[in-house]
Amino acid sequence: MMSDYVKYSSMSEGDDFLDPVPSFEVTKECVDKYIKSTNDSTKELTVDDEQGRRVAPPMLAAVYVIDALRTRVGPPGGIHAKQQFKFHRPAYVGETLFTSARVVKLYERKGRNYVEMTTETRNQEGELITSGIITRIWGKEA
Amino acid sequence: MSELQAYKDYNVGDQLEELIQFVDQTMIDAYADASGDVNPLHIDPEFAKTTFFGRTIAHGLLTLAFVSRVLSAWNWQGWAYGGELNVSFLGPVYPGDSVRVSGEIDQILQREDGIYARCQLACFCDERTVVKGFVISKISP
Repeated sequence: MMSDYVKYSSMSEGDDFLDPVPSFEVTKECVDKYIKSTNDSTKELTVDDEQGRRVAPPMLAAVYVIDALRTRVGPPGGIHAKQQFKFHRPAYVGETLFTSARVVKLYERKGRNYVEMTTETRNQEGELITSGIITRIWGKEA
Repeated sequence: MSELQAYKDYNVGDQLEELIQFVDQTMIDAYADASGDVNPLHIDPEFAKTTFFGRTIAHGLLTLAFVSRVLSAWNWQGWAYGGELNVSFLGPVYPGDSVRVSGEIDQILQREDGIYARCQLACFCDERTVVKGFVISKISP
C-alpha cells in the first residue's frame, strides 16, 4: 500500500520539494483569524497603511509557508526544530502568495531524521515577501 | 559591517519589554484552525499520548507569534520590513504553560543600507527555555 506521506528516504539534497508551487490567498478572514488566535493587538494591524492596504502580521509567514509545505507532508508526529525567517515586507490582504521550497540538508542525529529546507515566498508580481530556512524532525514512519 | 555600542535611543544591553502569554488547549486549537496546521501532536490528546511528549504540545510557530508581538510592539517598521529571526526550538510548550518572551540588544550593526539591532532572544516556561536564538531589525530610517 502506498503511504500518504513523504518518506525520508525519498528525498535528496537539492530537490525542489514543492512542484507545482502551491498558492495562498491572503484574505481578511485568514488574517483576522490568525491575529485572534495569537492574541496580537499590534496597532498597525488594525488600520490600513498609507496606501490603503491591510497589512498582515509578519509571522503570518508561519501560515502560508506551512500551508505550502503541507501539500507534501511527512508522517504524523514530526516537529519543528529550527526556524529562520527574513521578512522582506509584510503580505497584504488581497495578494496571492507562492512558496517554493528546496531540500538543502538531510541528516540523522540521536536516531532522528532531520530535514532542512530553504523556502521563498513571492506574490503574484514576483515580489519577494519572505525567505527562510526550516528544520524539521521527520515523524516516525510506520 | 561594523559594530556600534549605541544608536540614538538604542543601546547594547537594552531589554525589550517582556511578554507573558498563557497557553491552553483552546488557544492551541484556535491556532491549529487559523493556521491549518492540524498535526495530531497538537490537537489530539489520544495520539499525543503515543508520542515522546506524552501529551499535546503547542505549535512552535505559535510561540514565534508571541516573539513577533514583542518585536512589533518594540519596532514595527524595522521588524515588518526587513526583520530577521533565527531560533531553535529547545522544548515543548504544554497546555497550561505561560510563555515568557525575553530579549536584549547584544549588537548594534552598521550595514550598507542602515543600522540594525540584533537582540538575543529566549522564551521560557517557568525555568525551562523553550526557544532560543536572535532577531535583527533595522533601527535607522
